[in-house]
Amino acid sequence: MSKKLWNPIFGGVMIGIAMILTFYTAGRGFGASGAFTRLAAWIQDFIFPSFTENSQYFGKYFLNGHHPLNNYLVFMAIGLMIGAFAASKIAGDFKFEVLRGPQVGNKARLIFALFGGIIVGFAARLARGCTSGQALVGGAELSIGSWVFMIFIFVGGFAAAYFVRREWL
Amino acid sequence: MIGPLVKNGMISGTVNMIFAVLIGILFGWALHRSGFSNSKKIASAFYLKDVDVPVVMFTAIVTGALGLWGMALIGLIDLSKFYFLPTYLAPQMVGGFIFGVGMVVGGFCPGTSLVASFVGKIDGMVFLAGFLIGSLLFGDLFPVWKDFYNADFRGVFRIDQWLNINLGLSVFLVVLIAVLGSLGLRKLQFRFWGQNDK
Repeated sequence: MSKKLWNPIFGGVMIGIAMILTFYTAGRGFGASGAFTRLAAWIQDFIFPSFTENSQYFGKYFLNGHHPLNNYLVFMAIGLMIGAFAASKIAGDFKFEVLRGPQVGNKARLIFALFGGIIVGFAARLARGCTSGQALVGGAELSIGSWVFMIFIFVGGFAAAYFVRREWL
Repeated sequence: MIGPLVKNGMISGTVNMIFAVLIGILFGWALHRSGFSNSKKIASAFYLKDVDVPVVMFTAIVTGALGLWGMALIGLIDLSKFYFLPTYLAPQMVGGFIFGVGMVVGGFCPGTSLVASFVGKIDGMVFLAGFLIGSLLFGDLFPVWKDFYNADFRGVFRIDQWLNINLGLSVFLVVLIAVLGSLGLRKLQFRFWGQNDK
């Protein structure tokens, strides 16, 4: 890292301000995972159009000739990409690399990353959101379901941490 | 101007989308500069080795809660036009548990993997590819878990309704949980891993 990270309280306040701006302008919360699921459906639609458009779950993205990527969360995801890229270029820490603990190689780390992604991709749909759209936004909205979701993220994470400790420690 | 701006017709749908991009830039910027493009840092939270992740989450929730309910209090936002997340208790509980397992295995959540991918982290890109596969798995086999997905519906179910207390007290309770949670987790981090081992 060529620049010191933000203090976590400052970082949290900035993310909170982003959330408030979404509340005030759009009357809803922000989120990340919805954009990826729409992207996945859009890609699958190229290969299996009727299967995807008639899907009980993905069908709603294509209703009335809608483009699945013409969505609030997709535009927000574009912003996330720009913001992250610009921040790293300005901080001078953009770097192609694989981050992992000292006891695993890159290949093992990437296999874990793939499987972790699959698990999270499934879980985010089951829970109707992810850490941002469900835990942070719902947490601020005082939603019981979101608080339960967040608590169980940590229950699941702590429960599984022991088994993958060689990946990180 | 009374919010939500787009629902009150103060801004057009197009302007709302431009705001989405701008807010996304702030969000992505903050995630990266808080160190959340680093999978090691995120995973460290689950070993209590670096509890910045829950501290940032608590702080963001407190900020967002004070903003939302503060705006409602002074009449800056019309909550009758606000979309509140509904609660489906059992699927959110099970979903949260599976999500946490995936987070410590993969080292990311969705937003952080996108941020990581755009600052060069290859493990972030691979996680993102996995996320797309996991989404398709859920959506394409939806009839298998459809009933559970829609089970245990509680509508908009908030802390104030659950405890039958007023909103101000509920927000105060959330602030209290966040402050005590952050301090407690930091204390555990120092106890198990020392003051300087980050």
